Amino acid sequence: MKKKTGRRSLVTLTTAALALSLLAGCGGNNNSGNSANGANSGTDGNKDTAAATDSTTSMAAPAETGIDTSKKVELQFYMLGDAPKDLPVIQDEINKMAQEELNATVKFNYTSWTDWDQKYKLLLSSGQAIDLIFTADWTQYQSYAKRGAFLAIDDLLPKAAPELQKFVPESMWEDVKVDGKIYTVPATYKEYVTNGFVYREDLRKKYDLPVPKDLASYEAYMDGIVKNEPDMMPMSLNSDIGNNLHYIYTELNKMIGALPYGMGVKYESPTTVYSYWGSDEQKEELKTMKRWADKGFIPKNVLNIKDTMQDPVTSGKAASMFGDNPTRYNDMKMKISTTHPEWELAYSPFGLTTGYATPVHPIHNGFAIPKSSKNPERALAFYEKLVLDKRYNQLTQYGIEGKNYTVEDGYYKLVGTSASNGFSREGMNGWAWRNPEFMLFDKGFDGVKAIFDELDKIQKPDLFLGFAEDYSSYQAEKAALEQVEKQYLFPLEAGLVEDIDKGLETFMQKAKQAGLEKIQTEWTKQWNAYVAEKGIK
Amino acid sequence: MQIKDDHYTRLLQGLAYTVIILGSLACLIPFLLIISASLTANESIIKDGYHLIPAQFSVEGYKTVFTFPDEVLRAYGVTLFTTVTGTLLGLFFMTMAGYVLARKDFKYRNTFSFYIYFTTLFGGGLVPWYIMITKYLHLTDSYGALIFPGLMTPFLIILMKNFIRSAVPEELFESAKIDGAGDFKIYWRIVLQLSMPGIATVSLFLALAYWNDWFSSSLFINDPHKYQLQFHLYNVINSAAFIANMGAGTGVSLGSDLPTESTKMAMAIVVTGPILFLYPFIQRYFVKGLTIGAVKG
Repeated sequence: MKKKTGRRSLVTLTTAALALSLLAGCGGNNNSGNSANGANSGTDGNKDTAAATDSTTSMAAPAETGIDTSKKVELQFYMLGDAPKDLPVIQDEINKMAQEELNATVKFNYTSWTDWDQKYKLLLSSGQAIDLIFTADWTQYQSYAKRGAFLAIDDLLPKAAPELQKFVPESMWEDVKVDGKIYTVPATYKEYVTNGFVYREDLRKKYDLPVPKDLASYEAYMDGIVKNEPDMMPMSLNSDIGNNLHYIYTELNKMIGALPYGMGVKYESPTTVYSYWGSDEQKEELKTMKRWADKGFIPKNVLNIKDTMQDPVTSGKAASMFGDNPTRYNDMKMKISTTHPEWELAYSPFGLTTGYATPVHPIHNGFAIPKSSKNPERALAFYEKLVLDKRYNQLTQYGIEGKNYTVEDGYYKLVGTSASNGFSREGMNGWAWRNPEFMLFDKGFDGVKAIFDELDKIQKPDLFLGFAEDYSSYQAEKAALEQVEKQYLFPLEAGLVEDIDKGLETFMQKAKQAGLEKIQTEWTKQWNAYVAEKGIK
Repeated sequence: MQIKDDHYTRLLQGLAYTVIILGSLACLIPFLLIISASLTANESIIKDGYHLIPAQFSVEGYKTVFTFPDEVLRAYGVTLFTTVTGTLLGLFFMTMAGYVLARKDFKYRNTFSFYIYFTTLFGGGLVPWYIMITKYLHLTDSYGALIFPGLMTPFLIILMKNFIRSAVPEELFESAKIDGAGDFKIYWRIVLQLSMPGIATVSLFLALAYWNDWFSSSLFINDPHKYQLQFHLYNVINSAAFIANMGAGTGVSLGSDLPTESTKMAMAIVVTGPILFLYPFIQRYFVKGLTIGAVKG
């Protein structure tokens, strides 16, 4: 009796388990059925669809590329950010062409900006079949390449995308190499994301203040604002002190980029590495910030401000920004011109002060083929189309002409507003396949172009972003140091600590406890190896 | 004596009222602040900060939210669907599991119990979980990815098992058996009827977990049409923050309009609204279930 009931309960349990797996099956089918999604990107799925399409389209793929396109495939494309509303329409249009020319369709997947870095890591480490994924210095391109997440495309390029190989300058291919191999297709559009002072020109004229060009004139400008407009914040700031005060300050002092761990390397002498933390130079920075805080330029609660940097300026709460890049300055200017036409915003790029400006490094925007890709050849051939075929390119950058945008006097014009239009300019986040020859600009972009032209005259290459830091040997110390920075360095950098010397001493002591010396030695070693390898002097 | 007693009672009452009033104010004021902010003009929020009474009245925030009501409504639909299906299915599976494990005559009871208990102590971690769901179960972009992971929560199974064991006397199984009931019938007609408070508790936990879930969307859903409500909201706010902060070093243009402060607040109100109105009506059942469950279980 007892045994019998036991068996029966077991039966119930297995029934439940069966029901569960049945449901799982349903979910799976549903999924692949309604969106032809790549979850079933195993060979079976491909075979099925190939068989289905073979009879209808009978392989219209021309053999213009040197790759085998006899089997139909679906490419999995992974992008950062949010998908535009009209994406399905655009994707269908693209697929119509790609089906015919490459016997391939593509699915654009988006990670969304929420927790994108974690998702990015999972996508690459889980071995999912992905054919193309966005890369950039800020998505740790070099470290993923080093760890073998991407496929080296050196041999694939001449075969699958010969035109693209010719189109991208040789020097750029050289610059994106990691350990001598190419892992990403760089973008060729040249832009500057260097900083510059953003300030209210109308207020400057009204109170006869100097034009902010360097630290001294900027300080004088803010002095004037504090005196004449007591209700206004002289500069817009938020809790991200490191990026909004410190790195801007060091950029103005000719440091190369945002170096971690208090390392210091000057643009003129890239082979000399020193510890910026604890140096007289840093003391000078901290003193300046202390003075600015005392004068009321830096609010007491700055570490709690969560506003964006731009909002206070566009709403008239703040009179300037220590630094921002030309594109974003232009966006603000455009916004103000519609909401407050009586205000005037102006910009003076740091390049004019420091004497040089560096356009973005080729690894700043690109696409790589992950190791897990099932169709690397087709992926590269398709990517070539995106960059070099005007129809593909403009469709994915601007949407459908007439529906999403119109061209007037050579200028791009959005139809309706960005809220009503399902595909705004560069709505797919396709920054990496911008092709300067096909690019359309909004009329308001002329301002940015003017700044870019000015910076072009003094441009110098950014040689240093190709550096791939390998922090595996000091991962624990790195994490500990980040905590120490937050706790002891940020208040110093925001000018909130009364006694600078003592504050700096405490910070240095805590940083050393966290393992600063080990990190700095290791980093210096890697840096020296890098400049030696690239022949930078 | 009588008077003194009264005095203390009154003191206690006064104290209790003060604490409750302060407590509810602490809960209410932030909420009022959100309502007020959602009705304030965005510029006024940035310039003057948040106020309990809008400094500059505006319904712009709500207008923006409802320019595309379909997005919010669709996210609502997804969350409602996953919550209802997930809770019902989850309840069924977990009470089943609880019942089976509570039966002393089930031979592998201890093995299974240990197996379930073990997973509460040791998990594979995020990466294996992710690989399991995307590569082996192929649930990317399906509602399954939102529903399945919550169906068999070990903690709730153990809770259910203990509850059934204490609420349903073992003799009942035998007597039902003598009367000719099968195992499933015993489960359906007897065990379920007797463990209603336990079921209420578990369903509360389940429903809340499904309603508040955003992580599954974040990991497994690429199609914006299948975003859960919480994730939709979280994502809108996050994208704005990301583009505004990262843009400086990346050249990402601010071209498209970002949601303003007042829009974010309006969205928060729209999202929480219905559950707020619903909660007071259902809440008393929950309270009953929880207390009974607590006392007996």
